[in-house]
Amino acid sequence: MRPFFILFLKELRAFFLSPLAYVVMALFMFMNGWFLARFVEALRVQASQHSLLYLMFEPGWFWMGYFFLFPLLTMRLFAEERKLGTLETLFTAPVRTSQVVLGKYFATLTLYLIVLAPVILYFLLFQAITGETAAFTPGSLLGTTLALVLIGMFNTAIGCFASSLTSNQLIAAMLAFVGVLIHYFLGFLQYFGAGTSSLLAEKLSYFSTVEHMRAYSDGLIDSRPIVYYVSFSAVILVLTHHVLEHRKWKV
Amino acid sequence: MIEVNKLTKRYPGRTAIDQISFEVGKGEIVGFLGPNGAGKSTTLRILTCYLSATSGSAKVAGHDIFRESIEVRRRVGYMPESVPLYTDMRVSEYILFRARLKGLRGQDVKRNSEEVMDVCGLKEVGRSMIGTLSKGFRQRVGLADALINKPDLLILDEPTSGLDPNQIRQVRDLITQLGEKHTILISTHILPEVEMTCGRVIIIDGGHIKASDTPQNLVRRLRASGNVRVELQAPPDKARDALKRLPGVKDAVLLETRQDWYTLEVTTESNTDVREDIHALVLRRKWPLRELYRKAASLEDAFVNLTQTPTAD
Repeated sequence: MRPFFILFLKELRAFFLSPLAYVVMALFMFMNGWFLARFVEALRVQASQHSLLYLMFEPGWFWMGYFFLFPLLTMRLFAEERKLGTLETLFTAPVRTSQVVLGKYFATLTLYLIVLAPVILYFLLFQAITGETAAFTPGSLLGTTLALVLIGMFNTAIGCFASSLTSNQLIAAMLAFVGVLIHYFLGFLQYFGAGTSSLLAEKLSYFSTVEHMRAYSDGLIDSRPIVYYVSFSAVILVLTHHVLEHRKWKV
Repeated sequence: MIEVNKLTKRYPGRTAIDQISFEVGKGEIVGFLGPNGAGKSTTLRILTCYLSATSGSAKVAGHDIFRESIEVRRRVGYMPESVPLYTDMRVSEYILFRARLKGLRGQDVKRNSEEVMDVCGLKEVGRSMIGTLSKGFRQRVGLADALINKPDLLILDEPTSGLDPNQIRQVRDLITQLGEKHTILISTHILPEVEMTCGRVIIIDGGHIKASDTPQNLVRRLRASGNVRVELQAPPDKARDALKRLPGVKDAVLLETRQDWYTLEVTTESNTDVREDIHALVLRRKWPLRELYRKAASLEDAFVNLTQTPTAD
């Protein structure tokens, strides 16, 4: 357990000692702050039956920036170690590959939560400042937060995996970006050719981040997405583990 | 300390090491020599559990490298060939991180870090970023890392490559000093260094072990058919015939002529030193002699001899 914490802290420190974390955080905060301000403005001008949460997370605005987050946060994890050759010093120290993978994964996940926190804080701030009680219910905010944590777990795992495949950070970032996006759009497939097979559409809806988000932001905490994201994150981390172990057997 | 038994590593299309077996005893300093691509780094990487062998087994510090890899890694200090380091960390920060990662706790972390930084002469650069360090300092950081948890065995892959002669001397002194307490397996190209520091040499070529002996024995074996050079003033034909007639001499050839001085090379049978006989000969004939020496074979000759002879296959 101890190597895990040492690696976890080392990764987290590395993030905050490099300018990347600050740039990503600042841009993400700015972008979402601006979006939120626009939606508040829109609600002021014209009444809507939707809550502020729905407006923030239902259209594509938020997600555009959101999916850039993961490649940026995960690209260096293993790719940099490969490039520097430090994978060799890392794995000749008495640490298990699983400890390395989990240490890096949870450090990135923590960073993701730190980056995400302001977005959730915006809503609380908005409520505190305006005193509006009806903007959204506590349940829907909780649900939204939980959904974002779950989706983040999954996407961070994808990023970890992508980074373990290559020594080039740019390639790792591209792979992560594509992986994350493909998963996101998988959920939209149900809207295409929905008439052909409703069974397929139903199956695809299980993968749909959009659907999950919709339910959770209504405050409906469904257990299926929890199982889905947690188990798939685990599977992808196991794959990452295998990629790193693979070096032993090949070149 | 190390027992290697028929270790084989195959890469797609080529065999890096082929059924090698050797042993390294406790307290030994062993030089691991071989041309580039001979399988040195592969062997060291397998012993440090970075790679797995295709077949065969090895024990390091009493533990199987495959089944008890964590135990092995706890007891080995390894410095890889290119000394990979995190360039964006400070030296002291890196050493502390490695100390903790290798399982040191509490007081030991700080104490050992300060000790190795002292031993490796890193005190003055403790606050520097590793990325800004010169090659020599990086090498020392790598060495400090290898030493941090006081391992039983040190495995150093070309610790002096890319260093200037002064730094090489420093590292060599450091290794000799470390050899008093640790078992060391060191791979290198620099042969005089091996002759000075290592008690035993293992020469590997093309994935096979070609020799495993003390540097002195390797050289002695090569010296078996030693050559003697003579520079004298005499009719060259007569001199050659006279030299050939000496007991133990196989052949004598004229190498060069400088005015009326002639240099001849005398090939002798194994383990015979004909220098005294030659001396007696020239005294008898009253030939002026101005040079007589036996070419001392070096470890370099032994190395070239062992790794360049075409193998039977």
